[in-house]
Amino acid sequence: MNTTGSGSIFSVVVDFDTSHLFFPTIILWLLGLLGLAILIQRGPAFYRAVASGERKLRFFEPEADKVRLFGTLGLMVIYFIGMDYVGRLFPNMGYGFWFVSIPFLFALSCLYAHGIDKRKLTYISLNALIAPTFAWFVLSELFNVTLP
Amino acid sequence: MEFLALVDISYLLLIFLGVALGIVFGAIPGLTATMALAVCLPLTYSFDLNHSLAFLLALYVGGISGGLVPAILLNLPGTPSSICTTFDGYPMTRNGEGERALKVGILSSLFGGLFSLIVLYLFAPVLSDIAIKFSYIEKFLIIFFALTVIASLCQNMLVGIFSGVLGILLSLVGVYDTIKGGNGAVRLITPGMEEMLYSGFALLPVLIGMFGVGAIFAEAELGIKEETEGAKFDLLSGKKFDLSAFKGSSVNLVRSSAIGTFVGMLPGVGGSAASVLAYTQEKNFSRDSSKMGKGAAQGVIASEASNNGLTGGALIPLLSLGIPGDATTAILIGAFTLQGVQVGPLFIAENIDTWNMMVLSMFLANVVMFVTMFFAIKHIAKVVTVPKYLLYPIIIMMCVSGAYAINYGIMFDVWTLLIFGLLGYVGTKLGLEVTPLIIGFILGSSAEIYFVKSIESFGNLTVFFTKSPIAMFLWLLIGVSVVFSIYSTKRAKCREQVAV
Repeated sequence: MNTTGSGSIFSVVVDFDTSHLFFPTIILWLLGLLGLAILIQRGPAFYRAVASGERKLRFFEPEADKVRLFGTLGLMVIYFIGMDYVGRLFPNMGYGFWFVSIPFLFALSCLYAHGIDKRKLTYISLNALIAPTFAWFVLSELFNVTLP
Repeated sequence: MEFLALVDISYLLLIFLGVALGIVFGAIPGLTATMALAVCLPLTYSFDLNHSLAFLLALYVGGISGGLVPAILLNLPGTPSSICTTFDGYPMTRNGEGERALKVGILSSLFGGLFSLIVLYLFAPVLSDIAIKFSYIEKFLIIFFALTVIASLCQNMLVGIFSGVLGILLSLVGVYDTIKGGNGAVRLITPGMEEMLYSGFALLPVLIGMFGVGAIFAEAELGIKEETEGAKFDLLSGKKFDLSAFKGSSVNLVRSSAIGTFVGMLPGVGGSAASVLAYTQEKNFSRDSSKMGKGAAQGVIASEASNNGLTGGALIPLLSLGIPGDATTAILIGAFTLQGVQVGPLFIAENIDTWNMMVLSMFLANVVMFVTMFFAIKHIAKVVTVPKYLLYPIIIMMCVSGAYAINYGIMFDVWTLLIFGLLGYVGTKLGLEVTPLIIGFILGSSAEIYFVKSIESFGNLTVFFTKSPIAMFLWLLIGVSVVFSIYSTKRAKCREQVAV
């Protein structure tokens, strides 16, 4: 910490060379203190509730749909990697966005739909084809927005 | 009136398009006005500031207004701010007064929106004139005050402050910019990430991630339920709308609009609080509240006038102090940043045409919202049945395009979207408050400059207390907000104990 006290206890001198750390250090200390205060305020009651079985330590909802949740996460990661890869093959064309969005939309819609039938599958397929094409055309071609 | 020369066909079309898209977002349960702005922001990248703001403000007005449709027809609030509309709106639908309830809501929304617009027009320039005189110390204290107000209205004030401070910390990642008087050194970056995080996390991917992707993760965990699938409603038969529904409700209309506008001015409070407050006031003070909750038009009037009153109110602190009034206006900051315009006390004086255009846009958006919804409500109502399995993938796609394009093609911004989407989802589960976190993130780097430069100039911490009467007054307000929070927490605990 490059601040030194001089004169009264309220005097502070900020060293310009290390001034980038002055505010973050205060904020980190403040976060630590607030975390501690929250722990003191809520910790004992929380511990008692867990120990007595009144409250359960759980992160997910009781009937969480983990397939859809982790499926969303997994598909997004694949989408981003795929988009970047294809985008590098066709630089500055926005094809990475366009080509990879089509299977992404199809897969995610299939994951989200309940009880897929022929009608739903048709809607999903049309949506997966039309929406990315429309978005690519409007953003990239009409508005010159940079796309992967 | 020189600014009227800036009005062209594309400007009017954008307002119409913005309102229509906003209504669609508001009308679909699970989608919000905030998400509408986050998702549609990339469409504005090639617009100039006036066109961009016209579109986004129209989305805002449409998004808040659209929430009444599923609230009244299906008992599902389309946006959090329509929560109280369900109390009387849905019973009215069940009594065969669906169309009447919708039109009462639409007219009340128009009144609330225009009322808050008048307050915005009169009050924001005055507040700006006062704020121009603020030094760095008062500016820092204003940010501090905003964070304590937000935190004091959270379920737990300590958690609210913690979330706000965490947001500030995240905003400090990267270089301490020489343009802002810093020394050009980087901080809070792990080795190997210097190149990606040199300028820190970009604002828009953070906002889009938190409000767009985070909300979809939460919905995915709940299984993307199609609550509206197969929903049917008959708006052709039953009691028709006439203005008698407003008989004896003029005080309710004005009071609810004023509550919405006032709540909007408080940073980070949100529309649901405005709606609940206005509804409660009507219940407490009306001559006959016996029918409220069973299908009384006065309940719909209170809720809808207040949540649309929020729209103008939330813009007051944004345009006069640079502090967003709610999560949706926080995204508007992104639009300003994109155009290289800084909002704050000097904004109105230095951008008088933009200011006038914003007011005109809000006015036109309210009028277009009214005309569109009032005369096409039977068709708009069908929007609530659009399946989420088609919509959510499109929303993610639009979020990605927005994040990638913000800095003209940086893939790390897309990953930022995912990181902050996960942070929003996990943080909410752990009890973090997203709104203070976002406001802390937006204001963090300014808070650093104001704080460090004040200390560099004066070399003494006491100056924050003694600099001016305004500083002392701000400390008084900070104290009041903290005391209010402690008092309301204790009162809630007492009530819980009595209930047990």
